[in-house]
Amino acid sequence: MYDLIGIWVAAILTLAIYSFLYKENPLYRLAEHLVVGTSLGYSIVMIWNQLLFPRLWQPLTHGQDWTLVIPALFGILYITRFYPRVAWLSRYPIAFLLGTGMGVGFPLDMQALVLRQIEATIIPIYAPGAPFDVSLGTVVIVLGTLAALIYFFFSKPHRGPFFGTGSKIGIWIIMIGFGATFGFTVMGRISLLIGRVQFLLGDWLHLLH
Amino acid sequence: MSAMNFWMKMLNIDRRWIFLAIAVVVIVPFFARMGLPLIPNREVRSIYDCIDSLGPRNALMIGWDFDPSTDAENQPMGIALLRHAFARHVPVFMTAYLPLGQGLANMALEQVSDTTVAGNFVIVPWDAWEPFRAQGAEGRDSLEAAWIAAGHRLPEGSRGWVFEGVDLAFLGYQPLFYLVILGMGNSIASQFPSDANGNPVAEMPIIQAHKNLRQVDLAVTLAGSSACVTWIVYGTAKVGLRVAFGVTAVMATDYYPYIQSGQIIGMMGGLRGAADYEVLETQGGYTSSTGRAYRGMDVQSLAHLAIILMVVLGNIAYFASGMRKKTALKAGR
Repeated sequence: MYDLIGIWVAAILTLAIYSFLYKENPLYRLAEHLVVGTSLGYSIVMIWNQLLFPRLWQPLTHGQDWTLVIPALFGILYITRFYPRVAWLSRYPIAFLLGTGMGVGFPLDMQALVLRQIEATIIPIYAPGAPFDVSLGTVVIVLGTLAALIYFFFSKPHRGPFFGTGSKIGIWIIMIGFGATFGFTVMGRISLLIGRVQFLLGDWLHLLH
Repeated sequence: MSAMNFWMKMLNIDRRWIFLAIAVVVIVPFFARMGLPLIPNREVRSIYDCIDSLGPRNALMIGWDFDPSTDAENQPMGIALLRHAFARHVPVFMTAYLPLGQGLANMALEQVSDTTVAGNFVIVPWDAWEPFRAQGAEGRDSLEAAWIAAGHRLPEGSRGWVFEGVDLAFLGYQPLFYLVILGMGNSIASQFPSDANGNPVAEMPIIQAHKNLRQVDLAVTLAGSSACVTWIVYGTAKVGLRVAFGVTAVMATDYYPYIQSGQIIGMMGGLRGAADYEVLETQGGYTSSTGRAYRGMDVQSLAHLAIILMVVLGNIAYFASGMRKKTALKAGR
């Protein structure tokens, strides 16, 4: 019974959202606000159930771990932002979070997202015995990376055989990248529509088997 | 009406006609199944092969790192992965990067355990096999034998049992997930004292066999945002965790470099990626038929054809209507 109500509510809200394609209307705005409101409400309940209750409230009220008072009070300082006279206190938890986040994340970010990616472009252009498509791919990666970097080098005019030709190849490489991304974007948006149509025709109207 | 006027009208067509055309193209093929062929790509096959090489002694972690806005693309991936892992008795940890992800993970479990559908699995909750645990039956084979000996029978068409705590740990959501991944490098139980259903994680046999991420063989993150990168930064770079991506099509091109650099073993991109995985599962004999993602591919192909046609028509209209000359004049060229 509850499933059926859920499916009807979801179907009506889906149609309300798609009604925007005709023109903006109050039904669309209601559905839009419901998405924001329910998502936030759900998240609050989840955080209470998964974190605050079992890992803070219960240990504190059962006297298991009084040290939790320190991070709890530190976290509560965030709320002081709403009171101008003591709002400065909220800077301490923010500073703590930023500091630890940077400290923990920076070396790993550099390693995983910068150094490993650079390393992946420093490869031999020709490897004896490698299949032709692999060799071609390697050449494209190396030259493509260099050409795209030349395009973004603004301290020299893009003229002459090195900077001129290099930046022209670079813009082509970038355009091909944009084209591929746009193609995937179209595919993604159509996929989302397919998902909703499958729901409406299948789960709601039972027209698909 | 002159030809030029016709093309000018085409250029100024009310966009609602285009929406209607796309709606027709997306709805009609559902009633005329064409079954266009689909050849799984290399990036998806490498994930499939990796999971296919795992068994009861290994472990797989799947992250529901998306919210309902990308459910259509990411959820079929999760369902396909669960079916494959359960069929091979690979223990699965299920996590969620976002609060809404936990609900979606739960929905995926419900779909995989819907026994009205053939080929699904029966999930035995942690509490249900407590008496057997008390008798010391914690190994998977001995537990299943004891469970069947106690008179439990699989519903017709079901593929097997999934024992919560042995084959599955539904860990759920925790905030600041990058720190959670970092913490799981040392101990999974320390980050999830209880699972999403309130069961004690530390007591579960799955956690005693796989205490931290170093003892997990593969993590697949199903993401609709850059959350997936967190697994590389804090999992791969820190503890050498093998990672694969299941991302939305919009994100796919951003993450191909990570395959080339060897930081991820494979990637499912959008609905196509999920459909590829379903095809591989069917070819491998794990499912009798493909699922929702594959069914959507006929529609996807036709919708793409329609969009290509519109792009071509738009360009013809642009040149034939003399619009090119007008814009060139406006631009001072």
